[in-house]
Amino acid sequence: MTQAPDNPISHDAVRRAGRWVFATGVTVLVLWVLVPIWLLLANALSAPAEVTSFPRSWIPAFDTASLAFFFGYGGVLDALWNSVQVAVVTMILAIGLGAPAGYALSRFDFPGKEAFRFLVIMTRAFPLPLLALPLAVMFIRTGIDDTIIGLALVHATLALPFAVLITFSLFSGIPVELEEAAWTLGCTRFQAVTKVVLPLAAPGIAASAVFAFVISWNEVFAAAVLTIQNRTLTAFLLQSLDVSPLHLKFAGGAVLVIPALLFIFAVRKYLFAMWGIANR
Amino acid sequence: MKRILTLTALMAAALPLIPAAAQAEALFWSTQAKPVEESQAMREQVLAGFAGGVDYQGMDNGPWLTRIQAELQAGNGSIAVLGGLHGDLTGLEDGLMDLSTIDTSGIGEAMLALGALGTDQQLYLPWMQATYLMAANREALQYLPAGADLNALTYDQLIAWAAAVHEATGTPRFGFPAGPQGLRHRFFQGFLLPAYTGSTVTEFRSADAVEAWGVFGDLWAHTTPASTNYSFMQEPLLTGDVWIAFDHVARLADAFNQRPDDFVAFPAPAGPKGRAYMPVLAGLAVMKTAPDAAQSMALVEYMLRPETQIATLRATNFFPVKAVDMPADMPASVQAFAPAIATMTGAADALPALLPMGLGDKGGQFSQIYTDTFEQIILAGRPVQDVLDAQAEVLRALMVEAGAPCWAPDAPSDGPCPVN
Repeated sequence: MTQAPDNPISHDAVRRAGRWVFATGVTVLVLWVLVPIWLLLANALSAPAEVTSFPRSWIPAFDTASLAFFFGYGGVLDALWNSVQVAVVTMILAIGLGAPAGYALSRFDFPGKEAFRFLVIMTRAFPLPLLALPLAVMFIRTGIDDTIIGLALVHATLALPFAVLITFSLFSGIPVELEEAAWTLGCTRFQAVTKVVLPLAAPGIAASAVFAFVISWNEVFAAAVLTIQNRTLTAFLLQSLDVSPLHLKFAGGAVLVIPALLFIFAVRKYLFAMWGIANR
Repeated sequence: MKRILTLTALMAAALPLIPAAAQAEALFWSTQAKPVEESQAMREQVLAGFAGGVDYQGMDNGPWLTRIQAELQAGNGSIAVLGGLHGDLTGLEDGLMDLSTIDTSGIGEAMLALGALGTDQQLYLPWMQATYLMAANREALQYLPAGADLNALTYDQLIAWAAAVHEATGTPRFGFPAGPQGLRHRFFQGFLLPAYTGSTVTEFRSADAVEAWGVFGDLWAHTTPASTNYSFMQEPLLTGDVWIAFDHVARLADAFNQRPDDFVAFPAPAGPKGRAYMPVLAGLAVMKTAPDAAQSMALVEYMLRPETQIATLRATNFFPVKAVDMPADMPASVQAFAPAIATMTGAADALPALLPMGLGDKGGQFSQIYTDTFEQIILAGRPVQDVLDAQAEVLRALMVEAGAPCWAPDAPSDGPCPVN
């Protein structure tokens, strides 16, 4: 006969320990994300002398000199507006081209399908500094150099693979039977897509649009070479920031990060939807 | 979702299809004065006085060069004036206009000659100059070895000083810009090696060079390990992590301007072959594809006026290329640096070691050899002679490939600069 152990671990204890692990895990993850952002904001709001001093207080002095510098810095607001325009056009182009491609990949069999999927990914295989020179020459010759559209075309090419692959898996997850049901009820193929499939896929499409937006927002090299008077914010600031004094690095970082954070906050529920969390 | 869609649609509709508005502003495409504060000062204090306005853009070398090549290949462009170091502008000879019509009185002949880039035309004009200096926290001065003169230090005295500070405070407090953006390679090319070997290239693996690296190894023992993260020594000087440092004047200036009473600037130390130092020269050039050549020429001419040169000094901590009357109210950094530079360049044992010349687009690879040598000897601790022998082969291949003759302090050569 086997004896029960002297100190059997009760279910409660296991559950409590599990809760601890869960809570610790969540806390670590949250701190992982929030502490750098907090440091960025706290330092951006500190006086220059405070940023380099040690030990430092945990509450910033709310000195806005560093941030004010950026808003007074010639052309930052224009650059911000350019960045938003490029990112929005990129988003529209990437989804406008990527979603139909993703749908075709998931619903139809056609010769060269595998090759097509491979080629779409291949666009990410070439480093931009290599492509930038011929692109710039072509852009100058065709007259779309230094335009929002020209840069958005390049960014859309970068974002397209993600758009195609995300929407491909999205459409694959929607049963084709739903479409067939719509056809039996009198929908044309096109109507079935717009009335049945798209509403179901919308959150995921929005999420891949967010990706396209962020890719465009973060891209520096092409933006630096292909825009002159219509600079984007990253092209305008990023190259100068890595060689600027610490307090301006923090302030500039905040200026670059905050708009992207706000945008993601605004579309967060669509982003969560892509990860399978219910649309709330 | 609908709201987002509507919003997106609205934004899309609001987009004008932006034709590149033809602006009369001259585009100043530069690799210098990149930090945001300096760019701002260039725009507001230096270039504001130019009729028609100037769009000043400080760029990383990669995009800077790519854009220039693109405009040259396309045969038309928007860049009015190029600004760059001597090394940035070499290699662009075919795309630059002759600037010999611009008045250059007051600029030294030797400096002007560099602007020919090996041709018989004046392809760039000197714009501003700088060098590297040592800086120390005043607290460190009490540990200066007996008999050492701050304005005439030797490398041995510097090591003894750094060791004394290390011993007294318990932490190594010599700082060196060995970070990814740091200018460590210039220290080896223009200071350490010439001071011990009298050469940058030819004597790369000589016994003298082995001694030089040994000396740097001794100094490294009293160097803060965080140095491999430092790009600008003004920051660790301000935080107090570093008490003695070497860097480019523009990268030390902030420390002096923020706390003028806490720091001293002094010349680089001397080795057996002299007090080697590296002058840095930036130039102005005009591309053949410039949209309005007359405007570009006028801008170059404007940059060389004495009052613009002084404004440039205030904005960037780069010194004028011609003699100008300095006003009394210059920033603290200028007041600290000017005498130190004068002492260094005027020292009896002064040994100027120029920036690499004639390497074209191989300048980056050239510097990489010195950085690699440093990393292998000092950071990885490999045997000095083995590393020097291996890197000397790389260096020789590079000099032959570039076909670059020797530059000072190496003796002039007929063919590519030899590596013994």
